[in-house]
Amino acid sequence: MKRGAVMSEMASEGRLIEACQRGDREAFHELFDAHKDRVWTIALRFTGDENSARDVTQQVFLKLFTNIAGFRHESNFKTWLYRLVANECMDEFRKNRRLIPLDFFRPAFSDGGDEDCGEVEINDWRQEPNQEERLARLEVSKAVLAALMKLKPKLRMAIVLKYFEDLSYEQMAEALGCSMGTVASRLNRGHKALARRLAHLKQ
Amino acid sequence: MNAPQARQSTAHRSTTMFWTHVNKRLSSYLHGELRPEESRRVAEHLMICRRCRDEYEEIKFGARLAARLSDDLARAQAPAALWSELEKMIDGAEAAPKRPLAARRPLKIALAGAAALALALVVFWFYPRSPRPAWDVTRIEGAPKIGSKTVGEAGKLRVGDWLVTDDSSRAEIRVGEIGQVQVDPGSRVRLVESKADEHRLALARGKMQAFIWAPPRQFYVDTPSAVAVDLGCAYTLEVGDDGQGLLSVVAGWVAFEWQGRESFVPAMAMCVTRPRFGPGTPYFSDASEDFQNALAIFDVAEKGSDARSNALQTTLAKSRKRDALTLWHLLARTDGDDRLRVYNRLAELIPPPPQVTPEAVMRGDHAALDMWWEKLELGSAEWWRIWKGPVPSQTK
Repeated sequence: MKRGAVMSEMASEGRLIEACQRGDREAFHELFDAHKDRVWTIALRFTGDENSARDVTQQVFLKLFTNIAGFRHESNFKTWLYRLVANECMDEFRKNRRLIPLDFFRPAFSDGGDEDCGEVEINDWRQEPNQEERLARLEVSKAVLAALMKLKPKLRMAIVLKYFEDLSYEQMAEALGCSMGTVASRLNRGHKALARRLAHLKQ
Repeated sequence: MNAPQARQSTAHRSTTMFWTHVNKRLSSYLHGELRPEESRRVAEHLMICRRCRDEYEEIKFGARLAARLSDDLARAQAPAALWSELEKMIDGAEAAPKRPLAARRPLKIALAGAAALALALVVFWFYPRSPRPAWDVTRIEGAPKIGSKTVGEAGKLRVGDWLVTDDSSRAEIRVGEIGQVQVDPGSRVRLVESKADEHRLALARGKMQAFIWAPPRQFYVDTPSAVAVDLGCAYTLEVGDDGQGLLSVVAGWVAFEWQGRESFVPAMAMCVTRPRFGPGTPYFSDASEDFQNALAIFDVAEKGSDARSNALQTTLAKSRKRDALTLWHLLARTDGDDRLRVYNRLAELIPPPPQVTPEAVMRGDHAALDMWWEKLELGSAEWWRIWKGPVPSQTK
């Protein structure tokens, strides 16, 4: 991102948060719009269930709304948000351990007929000329998603934050409230668990 | 502690780290989260420790699967109805008794807002930007140039820029966070690519010495007739005005590749690359002069010619046990009777394992070639296969 754009975005977010802290509902709506897909994606990838993801997202933004007055600007807002999401996901896991619905992968295999529930849209696959190749990719992604859901929650969250949000170890440590060494350990274990569960895909 | 004791202590620490297993740091290594010196230690340890290499392979595979998800799945779109549902919850929460809102503290908010803006500016100016847009260049001697500008004590080499040293200039390039390259006098080097997983220079002419501590296959050097692919090592690369190149490996391994033709070059070995022919057959630098000369002829002579056949005969006749590296590569560069001659000589020097039959070798069976490679005691075939894939395979 260009320097000017970065500054503009940061200043703009600072103003937005300031307005939210004054209780401005419109400003909060804007903040919600800016981050809702990020929160939803983490929640959905972690829980694997739209209902649970909906609960997590609502709780995150509700907590954000009620606590934003206490947000200190010397903190990074996104890190604060990631921490809220991670905590809420873990709470959701504790509340409801049955998180993998049978139709979780349905949208991924939908070929466009059901756009409204396409939360698991596949990047550009409709442009791939080779149908066989596309189906093979879908099969692998389906298997990886299923393996991800079987990881222990802390390992799963580490994988989700690393691979869907591309966070550094330092950012992850802040978001998860642990050391960078713990982050490294969780990723190590997560990688190994995925590799072992999907060893049959290794060619 | 006196100086000799300090040196001993440092050496002991270094040796200890060399032999200490690195399994807990493998994901950090893979993600580039280690400091350069730690990363180098992990790379060195992986070269000598099969257990950690196996674990690294497993972690890499797991990481590749995880990365697949983010590659294949678009960011999910939150349902449109979420805001209206949230608003109701907020209304409910506001109706409940609560602490006074921050809106009642306008002065404090104004100050906080100003602080936020100031912080944003500070963070903006000091936040380290990644990936780095340019590599640091330090003048060692003379007056090296980047483009038309002379480098003072230091400069920046951006993608597309040429670094040129005249006969009395020398410079050092810092390769991102993964290593360093010394550019010797009379050289022309261009920065081709600078990405997290691909650091690429082009050496059009001259000589450079590279020391890389990143995981294998992150640093490449294009020459007019081959690409040098770093597999965790230190090496020297020279390119003459005629485009011919010479690779000399000091530590670790380097792969030399060109249009499907490959040579794998270990420490203390060398490999010539020539325009139109690509990488030649690697050889140890202490091989006899006759052996080296004959090999040079073999590499360029026309297939089926007497010159090639005679050169092969001399190469085989002058080969020592240590030259098994060369002979093993020659198996993939010959066929028919010539391959059988190579097989027989290599079998004299290093008898193949019982499972490696002449028939398997004659048909170029990769598993058989791998098994034989293991007996050469140059390092496991697996470790470079891990980073590259198939055995060197081509025929001219």
